[in-house]
Amino acid sequence: MNRHPLVEARALTVRFGGLTAVDAVSAAFAPGELVGIIGPNGAGKTTFFNALSGVVAPTSGELFALGEPLAGAAPHRFAEHGIARTFQTPRVFASLSVAANVGFGLRFAGRRRPVPALLRDEASILALLGLEAQAALPAAAITPSQQRLLEIGMALATRPRVLLLDEVAAGLVEREIEAIARLAHRLRDELDLTVIWIEHAVTTLLRQVERVIVLHEGRKIADGTPAEVMRNPEVVEAYLGDEMAEPA
Amino acid sequence: MMRRDLVILAVLAAAALALPYVASEFVVSLALSCLMYAALASSWASFCGSTRYLSLATAAFFGIGAYTSALTLGTLPWLAAIGLGAAIAAAVAVVMGAAVLHLRGTYFAVLTFGMTELIRHSIAYFEKQVTGTVGRVLTVVPERDTIYLTVLGLAVAAVLAAIFIRPSRFGLAMAGIGADEQRAETLGVDTRVVKIAGFAFTAAFAGAVGAAMSVRWTYIDPATVFNPFIGFQTVLIALIGGAATLWGPLLAAVVFSLLAETLRLQMPQVYMMSLGLLLILSVLYLPGGLASIRWRRA
Repeated sequence: MNRHPLVEARALTVRFGGLTAVDAVSAAFAPGELVGIIGPNGAGKTTFFNALSGVVAPTSGELFALGEPLAGAAPHRFAEHGIARTFQTPRVFASLSVAANVGFGLRFAGRRRPVPALLRDEASILALLGLEAQAALPAAAITPSQQRLLEIGMALATRPRVLLLDEVAAGLVEREIEAIARLAHRLRDELDLTVIWIEHAVTTLLRQVERVIVLHEGRKIADGTPAEVMRNPEVVEAYLGDEMAEPA
Repeated sequence: MMRRDLVILAVLAAAALALPYVASEFVVSLALSCLMYAALASSWASFCGSTRYLSLATAAFFGIGAYTSALTLGTLPWLAAIGLGAAIAAAVAVVMGAAVLHLRGTYFAVLTFGMTELIRHSIAYFEKQVTGTVGRVLTVVPERDTIYLTVLGLAVAAVLAAIFIRPSRFGLAMAGIGADEQRAETLGVDTRVVKIAGFAFTAAFAGAVGAAMSVRWTYIDPATVFNPFIGFQTVLIALIGGAATLWGPLLAAVVFSLLAETLRLQMPQVYMMSLGLLLILSVLYLPGGLASIRWRRA
């Protein structure tokens, strides 16, 4: 086994003009970790994901996938290194069928990656998501919550080592969120997949993950188990405040 | 689906092949114009239609091909000159694409147009200052049937390529770029390489068509073969026919070549006006192009 972390950010910084969206964030992720990233709006969560997936190039700092430097590389290189992501607003190929949306990843990044049985083909991925019945429908014709699942399916089709979930639970009902959480646990348990999950709804996420990173104004202010993070005074002051005072 | 398309293409190609034996000189010349625009619009749509990168550089590649054959036909055999025209046009497209394909939309369209003008004026300047001419006289001209068969071959090749590219990984990558380029990238598409390859593919066809068509004029100069109208008409034909469809560009190429030949000589303004009007109507009411009509009725 490789001694390098699966994904590692070192002093990762992203600036847009005068605004520092991500400010010198360092974090390493090991295989099979289930990590949540929380923070108020504008904390830099999505920008951090954009940098981790190559969608934006970091202004400074370094990024490694299994020890290989990737900062500044095009997104397809991140996908080839097993980093897959979803987008907050589902970005499915509306005119393609649900199965073809999954097939897209299989024919590109997924083609060069090891093939676990769970992610063997369109049918097995759709079965994992419970979208078998929709396979032949155009992606534009399924419900928004099904499109969210399809987003995850498109990412899984690249047969990743790391799955970045960007607010996949937003707007879903508790039952649907539970289903996604079960899927995340299952992928971790059966494929040793690392799942990094951003969610605005803190209490939902804290129940599902074993490690939490808190971002605030672009900086990482805490990194630990949910229990540790909830006790961290800086976190309580900067962000959680009254939300955590409520009984979870 | 693919089998059906191949059968249609074979039937159309056979009909076009038989034409010179049965039809008049005028009809054959009309058919040649149809075939020229079918080749240009189909190959243009293969890349520009699916990726939605609207290139106005067709005239540049056409002109490069035309000049290549004008300069080499004395020494090279016919098909070699055409192949060279295609190769040089593709090489120019690789350089041009590497420079401008990171831009989208209007910026890309305007820059491809600007580069076409730059190439045209550079060649005009070079000819005047260095070689001391304003144009080229073509002395070695093949027979009419040779030109016709060559352009027919190019049109068939363009549609055939489109049929096979669509379901391929290359075609899927281009469709993904057209639908959501960044999403395609995160799913593993090397968009830079795909776009440059697609652009070069389009350019190779335009270069080959230019090389074959140059001999129809006995005298060429930059204003004739780099005429921006060649690029505009290609784009209009593809858009009106349906740039994302397989048969749309071909269908519109035939309609427009007929319209052009019947109207352009007597009433050139009426021709341009009807072209403009059809473009407006198709953009407003038929964004998928003429070829999408049957889908709407279903």
